[in-house]
Amino acid sequence: MSTTTLVKDRIEHIDPRRRETLLGYLLVLPSVLLIGAVIIYPLAYNLYLGFTEVPLNPDQSPTWIGFQNYEALIGSTRFWDATINTVVFTVGSTLLATAVGLGVAILFDRTFRGRRLARGLVLLPHVTPIIAVAFAWQFMLDPLWGNLPDLLAWLGLYESEVGLLQSREQALPMAILFDVWRNFPFAFLLFIARLQAIPQSMYEAATIDGAGRVAQFKDIILPELKGTILIAILLRFVWEFNAFEPVWLLTRNLETLPIYAYKSAFSTYDQGLGAAIAVMLFLFQLVMVAGYMRFVGEDEL
Amino acid sequence: MLITSLSPNEALYSRDRGVVPESLTLEHYDVIFESGTFPVQTYFFNSLSVALITSVIALVVSILGAYSFTRIDYPGSTTIRRGIIVVYMLAAITLVIPLFQLLVQFGLVDTRLSLYITYTVKTLPLTLYILWNYFRSLPVEIEEAAFIDGYSRLETIVRVIVPVSLPVLVAAFLFSFKIAWNEYLFASVFLQSEPLYTLPIGIETLDSAFQNVWGEIMAASIITTLPIIVMFLYLEKYMVEGLTAGAVEG
Repeated sequence: MSTTTLVKDRIEHIDPRRRETLLGYLLVLPSVLLIGAVIIYPLAYNLYLGFTEVPLNPDQSPTWIGFQNYEALIGSTRFWDATINTVVFTVGSTLLATAVGLGVAILFDRTFRGRRLARGLVLLPHVTPIIAVAFAWQFMLDPLWGNLPDLLAWLGLYESEVGLLQSREQALPMAILFDVWRNFPFAFLLFIARLQAIPQSMYEAATIDGAGRVAQFKDIILPELKGTILIAILLRFVWEFNAFEPVWLLTRNLETLPIYAYKSAFSTYDQGLGAAIAVMLFLFQLVMVAGYMRFVGEDEL
Repeated sequence: MLITSLSPNEALYSRDRGVVPESLTLEHYDVIFESGTFPVQTYFFNSLSVALITSVIALVVSILGAYSFTRIDYPGSTTIRRGIIVVYMLAAITLVIPLFQLLVQFGLVDTRLSLYITYTVKTLPLTLYILWNYFRSLPVEIEEAAFIDGYSRLETIVRVIVPVSLPVLVAAFLFSFKIAWNEYLFASVFLQSEPLYTLPIGIETLDSAFQNVWGEIMAASIITTLPIIVMFLYLEKYMVEGLTAGAVEG
């Protein structure tokens, strides 16, 4: 008897319910293995790297230095500056993107000609590859060749030899602006779906009661959308806090924590220090995700 | 972006230009495709191969996984499923350093394989999520007929589930393609030699290696954007589902 028939024979002797269970595990195994090897294990390894100094020579193993990386971080102004930048960037872009998204969603909550096309245009900033839009912004803001500096100078808003992305004070607001422009469609999409689920009769009843637009917004839209708004803010908050590309590709003059981690690891090759920052970012995400799960409710997942 | 890519250099770098360009030219496209200085063609095919290969693997793996979650009852399936959602919310920046260290140990730095592996896993949680959400909505009855005909579970997946879910499979594939196509962070660290560069890294190199090549950069950006816009036309109605799972990050 060949081995295959032998195996087949043995499989057929297993009780069918156990066979189902086995098949279930077998089918999910590739996913679990891949995620375990490329996400879970590296996370654990990162935890270890944060306590070490990683030598440049890959043949040498990292040396254990205990909490030195963390002590160095907490004692440095660079770390705290990056933290402040990250918090300002995160709060600013999350709240603004959510507010703009909500506003645009309310504008779209009716039928008008060209609505589908307009909707597509609104989503465009979010869909276009970030590398392309980041360079488009860089070009528009270029102090020599861009259109916007001329326009701003003409309006008397900003005039300087230093470009908006080149100056340290302006880089943070510009990064927030860029990020809001890119991500408001995310909030928009979440909100428009909820808005359209609100029955028209609620507005009609409110109009009969003499409620104006503002009152309708406060008494109908906000309560109906409360959950969705919170979800949008929570999700964006986690992502913005860890956002790397939107800042890095737009300007090199703003240092947030993810960028500090990247620079430490790959510009100055202090990978242990970079790992330590990444561990902190990871812990922050863990707390936020736990909050999200609790809020959304486990049944949803 | 489009206008810049089509404008002649004299117009780009002059002080008095209008919003509407006076003349259009394809010279920048010519430069990036024909001259050897800007190997955009190489970048394009690198991106394409990485995105195609990772999406195919991610799709196959996630069809099996998602099916197992929705149709087969076994201890631990809910835990694994929730774990995948949690994992998906983690940002790439927390993984890039240990992944780099591990790739160094395995001698995989500066290989295409490093991107195939990491991109597949990067998109996997999302494709799993999209597919199990859809499989859940399929009535069990359509499979029962197949069982009666004597099909095994695997045959049922291939002959019943896959044909029925085709539109959603395409959507999952495209989402995955898009993530791999746009990825910057991993590629910027894992790739070191130019022949392997993907479009995002290539465009960045154009910017840092040359002065005033805005027309070429914008032309390359258009090349990068076009496939995504075409996909978006198909994906639009799946966007909301994809979004709640964080689909459009990156």
